[in-house]
Amino acid sequence: MTEQWPVKLSDKPTLLVQRSLRSGQNVNFDGNVVVLGDVNPGAEIIASGHVLVMGALRGMVHAGATGEDTATVTALTLSPTQLRIASHITRPPDGSGNEGHKPPETARIRENAVIIEPYQPQR
Amino acid sequence: MGKVIVVTSGKGGVGKTTTTANIGTALAMMGKKVVMVDTDIGLRNLDVVLGLENRIVYDIVDAVQGNCRLKQALIKDKRLENMFLLPAAQTKDKTAVTSDQMIELCDKLKDEFDYVIIDCPAGIEHGFKNAIAGAEEAIVVTTPEVSAVRDADRIIGLLEAAEIRSPKLLINRIRVNMVKAGDMMSVEDILDILAVDLLGIVPDDDAIVVSTNRGEPTVLDSNSRPGEAYRNIARRICGETVPLMSLEEKKGFFGKIKSLFSGD
Repeated sequence: MTEQWPVKLSDKPTLLVQRSLRSGQNVNFDGNVVVLGDVNPGAEIIASGHVLVMGALRGMVHAGATGEDTATVTALTLSPTQLRIASHITRPPDGSGNEGHKPPETARIRENAVIIEPYQPQR
Repeated sequence: MGKVIVVTSGKGGVGKTTTTANIGTALAMMGKKVVMVDTDIGLRNLDVVLGLENRIVYDIVDAVQGNCRLKQALIKDKRLENMFLLPAAQTKDKTAVTSDQMIELCDKLKDEFDYVIIDCPAGIEHGFKNAIAGAEEAIVVTTPEVSAVRDADRIIGLLEAAEIRSPKLLINRIRVNMVKAGDMMSVEDILDILAVDLLGIVPDDDAIVVSTNRGEPTVLDSNSRPGEAYRNIARRICGETVPLMSLEEKKGFFGKIKSLFSGD
């Protein structure tokens, strides 16, 4: 019996979106997604891999949508309406509004929960 | 060759019709030949806001279906002789007109007029698609409310998809005191999300309700603050550079004396 070797997420194809996504617009991609712009409330990104937003992420994002829980979501300003990684669904706590300027952040699954931490470049 | 500008918003009740009426009237006051087209078939309002409802004989559906000549459906304004209205039909629905017919209509109108201002219905369905079909430029109206801004964002996306590039934003009904207190979205907050060019801001004012109900666009009143804002917007549409008006409440006589002493 041949067992399928798990594919590394970063080996998947990457889609580069060179514009902002406005309400009602969506991106659905089997791979990683990089957005050079903002993702506004009401916009949607669904990717089987990682999602990176070089702007403000205020819409809905689902990374690792086919079940890969190593997927991450990174944005210069990470304030999504809802954030999903694999089968985890999270939303910002009620009452958290505009916190003003925040550093870039990454969301990932650790110990079966979605955690958000400041973006750390890989060394 | 005139310009065809659609006034749209997505959300209802943010002031598309009031904006159309006032910008149209302000452009006509500047001597431009203007026609306003109401595309909200079945829910027509623009005729009421302009005070022309009792002069309607033919409407846009009659005009595009050939029941009358286009000239017959155009209603000349009772105040300004270079301003016309093409009213919507009230007893039909949005499917009475097709996008191709709208394109043809706009082409005919822009040969005759300097500005063709199209009042778009709320929503993103057939009526919206008709309204933008013949337009070259767009004014997106929003109010400082999260829901209105969300819909404006959706509309801008749809306009871009329809190749109406760089729509201009008009922020309506702003209340300075509430913005200052942090209870209302500021112009900056809105521009941060929508990222489009700002055409103008119009302050919230009770006078608008009165003028709308009377069928007298507020730009005709030289003391009206929203009227001044709309006149400035019309000048910007004509290519002039006009600074944004200060939104501070006008001080009364005593206010002026007070500020003389307090030095602000």
